[in-house]
Order: sequence, then structure tokens, then C-alpha cells
Amino acid sequence: MTKQPINIIDCDVHNSLRSHMDLVPYMPDAMKRRLIESGTGALYSGYYSPVGVPRKDATPPGGGPAGSDPGFLVEQLIDQHRIDYCLLTGSMYDASSGHDADYAAAIISAYNDFMLDHWIGKHHSFKGTIAVSTLDPHLAAREIDRMGPHPDMVAVIMSSAARMPYGQRFYHPIYEAAERQGLPVMIHPGTEGAGSTNGPTAAGYPSYYLEWHTCLSQNFMAHLVSLVCEGVFEKYPNLKFVLVEGGVAWLPHLMWRLDKNYKALRAQVPWLKKLPSQYIREHCYLTTQPIEEPERPGDLITLFNMIDAENMLLFSSDYPHWDFDDPHAILKAMPAEMKRKIYYENAKQLFKL
Amino acid sequence: MNVQFVAAVEEIPEGQRKIVQVGKRSVGIFNIRGKYYALLNYCPHYGAELCKGLVSGTTMESHVYEFIYGKDQEIIRCPWHGWEFDIKTGCSLFDEQVKAKRFEVIVQDGQIGLILGAQSKRE
Repeated sequence: MTKQPINIIDCDVHNSLRSHMDLVPYMPDAMKRRLIESGTGALYSGYYSPVGVPRKDATPPGGGPAGSDPGFLVEQLIDQHRIDYCLLTGSMYDASSGHDADYAAAIISAYNDFMLDHWIGKHHSFKGTIAVSTLDPHLAAREIDRMGPHPDMVAVIMSSAARMPYGQRFYHPIYEAAERQGLPVMIHPGTEGAGSTNGPTAAGYPSYYLEWHTCLSQNFMAHLVSLVCEGVFEKYPNLKFVLVEGGVAWLPHLMWRLDKNYKALRAQVPWLKKLPSQYIREHCYLTTQPIEEPERPGDLITLFNMIDAENMLLFSSDYPHWDFDDPHAILKAMPAEMKRKIYYENAKQLFKL
Repeated sequence: MNVQFVAAVEEIPEGQRKIVQVGKRSVGIFNIRGKYYALLNYCPHYGAELCKGLVSGTTMESHVYEFIYGKDQEIIRCPWHGWEFDIKTGCSLFDEQVKAKRFEVIVQDGQIGLILGAQSKRE
């Protein structure tokens, strides 16, 4: 029996700069010297990975960092794995880990312009995400309004590493602008624990990258609870939110626990008009990579069925990073209809592709 | 009509409650601004003695970050887990389908009476 071909939208593909010098032509004159001398200001979490972050087989033949050559990315990801569209997520959202809101905003604007010039339009599968810095949400909103009208920009992306939970009113200008432009907001990990961000786990600073990476889910859980409880989805009823690379299997626990507590404590958040889990179902999406791999693969499908996950999940590969998920190798136990939604249909609708 | 008189009006001043035993049933009688209401002293969640909970008002449905106090004296919160019930209707505030059992109350000659139906198994 031949396998049915499946359509795929990859919602997390990391294009890269060749070097920070790529951004010099796009920077305001007053900040060029700082960029040349000190780089983008995107900090490093400090956690050492023994395998590195980029895949060792993803270095372009012509040199440069993994993900920096559009032609090689097409060859190694899009063609090899038969991807219809990929969302270019970059990593410049990491600039939010710095301390200088104006520099972070300028770097991120420069990057967005660079991506438009050097990536968008280079291949029909490429779709852009508008990076924003969360250090000043008003500047972020301005960037969303500047870039939002471009037809190939299909989402806003920001760092999941943050100074405070994302439901809080400080951040609302970002959501207002994203809703105005009809763009989902994505959050992505990377700099948890660095610079101006909070500690990477609820317990503090662990010793190893293994722990740091595992506990990223905690940060996503806290942001999600905050978004729901602070009424972001009541205030911005058309806003959609995408949790990228934060894990999936914790979601049933969070929905059940939050609903249970809401039944007792709803008086604190009287603006909520339905169970918290219902807001999550209606407004939130999670990307699949790095997919959890239980001993019995069917257990994951059972878990997805508990929470109607087939309408909330979006496939992502995380190319070219070390924990890349091959769409044809993972989730083999998944029923075909569920796979069609998670690999393609949900993202097609959400990002209007 | 099966009426059981369970207390004199002086026993339950405004804002107060009294829990009475009627056969096998424990029932809370509440005086909300001069009118009497009765709920079975049994929470539909886990069967705790609902009528021993905190009586208060609550925050009404509102816009985000807006707090509107309302239903003063009309809300009872179960001592276990804190679920809020509207004393006048028996309905929980998070889901109208989740209800505490209520009884009609009449006042005759200074006596408070409960109108009781047949006792159900759940009570």
C-alpha cells in the first residue's frame, strides 16, 4: 500500500542571520556603532548544551550558521520533508531578554526588514512572522502596525522569556495591535533566565540544560493561566495565541486544575464568562515540537482526545535545531483525520494560508 | 401542601441564618433584607454542610479589570472548596445547572414554614 501524501505547514522554522552585520544597513544611524561593536543584544540563557543548539548536519555547504542560507533550507527541509508552507520564526524575539527597550525595538525592526528583503519571496513556501520586543509594548504595537499589512506576514512572534506573566495589562497594547491587524501572537522560548527575564523555572535556576529545557513548559503554563485570568480573550475577542515549543502533554492538567479553581474563585475574575478551559480551546494553539514520546505512542493520542487537541495543535519541526521533529517520523499512531488537521488544516485557517 | 414550621421570625434577624432539622433533612433558613429563603444544607459538589459557609455579596459580571459588587447577603460559599451559590435560586455562579436544592418558605403568624415535597434519595 502506498502512503497517502500529506500536506504540511511547519509552524516553527528558524531562519538565521549570517552575522549581526546583516542588520547594519537597516539600523538607525545612532545605533549602528553599538550593533557593530556589541551585536544584537539577544542574550544567551547560559545553559550549556552538549549537542549545541543547531543540528550539526544543517550547516550550509557555503558556510554560515544553520538556517542562514534560504536555498539550503529549501533543499534540506522544504523539499526533503515535502513541506507546503513554513513560518519563518527566526530568533530575534530573543532581544527582549536585554535591558534597553529602544535598542531591542530597533534591532527587531531591522531584522524584520532584513527578513522581508532576504527571505520573503525567495520561495513560495516562506511565510514571515513579525518579531517584536516586549520591553516596550507600545513600540511593539507600532511595529505590528508597520509590518502587519504585508501579505506574507502571518503572525506576531515574541519571546516566552519575560519579566512578568503575559496576561498582565502592561502587554495589552501588543494584543490590541495584533487583533487590529488580524494576526495571531506566538511565543517562543530561548532566553529563559537571561538578562532582564525571570528565572527559568518556578523553583529557580537549575544546573543543567537538560533541566532548563524540560522546565520551559512551566513558563508557558504560567503565561497561559495569566492570559486567561486577566481577561485578554474577553478584552480582545478575536485574538489568537500560539504557544510554540513549550510542550503539549501538560495541557489537560492545566485545564482541569484551572477550571476547578475557577469554580471556587471566580469572584476574583468576574469578567470571565465561561470556564477557563473554554477560552483556551477557543483562542489558543500549541505547536507539536518537541513532541512528547511516551513508551506506548498511543497514550499520547488518548491524551489528545481528552482535550479535543486535534483542533488546538499545529505541527512544527523546529528546523534546524537539535531537537527537530521529522513530520513523517513522529506521531505514527495518529488517526489520519487528526493528522490532517494538526499538520495542515488548523494552521491553514489560523494563518489564512 | 406539606408545611413544616421550623422557627419564629425573631430567631432569624436580617442578614442572619438558622440551620434547622426537619426529619432527616438539615435545612438552612436565610433572612435577606426581610425575606426568608431556604436551602438544603447539602452541597451538590461533595455533600458538605453548605449552609454553614460564608454569606456575602459577590462580584457581578463585568468588563475586564472592573469590579462591581452586588447580590449583597445573597451568596453563600460552601465551606468546602468555596463554590458560590445564589441563596434565592440555589444556582451556583459558575454554572446555572449546578444547583443546591431550595425550598419555598412561607411566614404565618410570626412563624417561618418550609414547604416540603417528597424526600428524594439524594437528600
